[in-house]
Amino acid sequence: MRKTLDLLFTVGTGLCAVAAVSIIGIVFAALLFRGLPAVNWRFLTEQIRMVGADGGIFYNLVGTIILTVTALLVCSPVAIGVALIHSVYLRTGAWRRRVMLLLYILNGVPSLLFGLFGFVVFVKYLGWGKSWVAGGVLLAVMILPTVTIALIERIVALPRMYIEAAAGLGLSTSQIIWSVILPQSFSGLVTGSLLGLARAAGETAPIMFTATIFAGATIPHGVKESPVLSLPYHIFILAQDSFDPSVGAKVWGAALVLLMLVCGLSLVTLPLRLRTDEEANHG
Amino acid sequence: MEATITVEATQPEARDRRRRPSLTQCASWGFTGLAALFLLSLIGVFLWQSLPIWQSSGIAYLTGKKWFYREQIFGVLPMIYGTVSVSLIGLVLAVPIGVGAALCAAEILSPRLRLAVKIGVELLAGIPSVVYGLLGILFLRDWIYRILTRFDPLSGDTLLTAGLLVGIMILPTIMSLSEDALRGVSARQRHAARGLGLTRSETVWSVVLPQAFPGIVAAVLLALGRSLGEMIAVFLVVGRQDNQWPANIFSLRPLIEAGQTLSSKLGGSETNIAYGDPLHWAAIINLGLLLLVMVCGVSTLAYYFLKTDRHA
Repeated sequence: MRKTLDLLFTVGTGLCAVAAVSIIGIVFAALLFRGLPAVNWRFLTEQIRMVGADGGIFYNLVGTIILTVTALLVCSPVAIGVALIHSVYLRTGAWRRRVMLLLYILNGVPSLLFGLFGFVVFVKYLGWGKSWVAGGVLLAVMILPTVTIALIERIVALPRMYIEAAAGLGLSTSQIIWSVILPQSFSGLVTGSLLGLARAAGETAPIMFTATIFAGATIPHGVKESPVLSLPYHIFILAQDSFDPSVGAKVWGAALVLLMLVCGLSLVTLPLRLRTDEEANHG
Repeated sequence: MEATITVEATQPEARDRRRRPSLTQCASWGFTGLAALFLLSLIGVFLWQSLPIWQSSGIAYLTGKKWFYREQIFGVLPMIYGTVSVSLIGLVLAVPIGVGAALCAAEILSPRLRLAVKIGVELLAGIPSVVYGLLGILFLRDWIYRILTRFDPLSGDTLLTAGLLVGIMILPTIMSLSEDALRGVSARQRHAARGLGLTRSETVWSVVLPQAFPGIVAAVLLALGRSLGEMIAVFLVVGRQDNQWPANIFSLRPLIEAGQTLSSKLGGSETNIAYGDPLHWAAIINLGLLLLVMVCGVSTLAYYFLKTDRHA
């Protein structure tokens, strides 16, 4: 009886794991099978034509890169600031927990609401219209928790000895930050940023009201009324009228490119994160 | 997060106090203030912009079952029903599979296989919601329609389709956070239990699960928060049919009909139309406020469960 239960447990949970992992297989297989025929050099370097039925996704790719890089540039200094406040400047556990709670809440806010907020503030109140800057800022806030928490985890895991040695040499707090803490926890910032980039690249909701249009934009000049194209929004719009077979092939191609971009970014972080994991568990 | 670095402890207090705060310190406080200000102004904007609808409709906004914006009738109950049922279907699918897979990874698999599963789940978590939406619109919708033919649905765009899609999307969240909670239980206790003659399943049931429980609850709550706010994928497959209030709220039949959720309403074209009309806009923005309240409540709760987990 007990043996049987044990066997049931093993088989049951094993099936769950197989189900979970096979989803990833199905998604990749479907996208590769449907999307690969559409992806070629012309697809990546030509601009959109005939409402997505012809041409490529060059400016969509460029737009997505502009948005995510802007997000990263806006996000990193803020993330470093918040991480330093949390791990260095705040002295009581209670306030540290409050900073963490702030990050958790920010992480939980649905991305759609960032989009609506941006629509009210940037598009209407500031009168920017659709602008890549608004999209970049909103994506930056969206990925802030990811980047900050990755950095904090790294800072907290630093051996105390490093800081004590630096303090013993007579360095001030800010000197310790710039010459010990930040260089030593740089990998945390890189990991967090790449994960954040991956998340930002795939988001549609924050930018659909604020930064991106379907067709007719190239490289933005200035801030006001300067939307960009973007990959996720392109897919989102085309998915809604994907019954046209020529559109169908293109939308799968675009989805495959987006998936590769996102998975590539998160796979790059893997060795870094596994090393941190090892150190945390065995060091 | 208790084990943090205290630079101050190693430095003479007096020196710090005499000196003016450094540029690094000022900048850090400035940026943190900026982040907090952003969150506050986000909440502020939603509160302020939704004020007119509370003044004009009051509580009827929450209890109303009809939404006709041309007649200025705004009732959100059907959308709350849509959001809750989509999220519940998602949880019903994702919680057993996610926790089961986490148990398998944490308790049974060898380290190497566990790593492979972890990488797979990581990739799954990274798939953009618009890709799920696309898969939903082109595959899942048709499958659902074919499977449900004998119940005679109008189309494959149903609350059930959206719920299943959301379930797949929150699976990695549940799985990886539950696995973290399970791995947090020390191996010594497992060894002790096995030494007392308990089988693997008995060890899990009576030693590991009780301790990891708060962490698993937190995982489920965080996943719930994500499913409540998910827009893109739901938007594409939910059918976006207004005023679908079921005659019997416990009946399963409405789940295989088209519906509308708070988020799919917000993602639709009505948001762009509404901006000119203060009342209509307030009604729309208020949907966002409701969503914000629900999600913030859920994630705050999750945070406290996570905290108890840390202390355990």
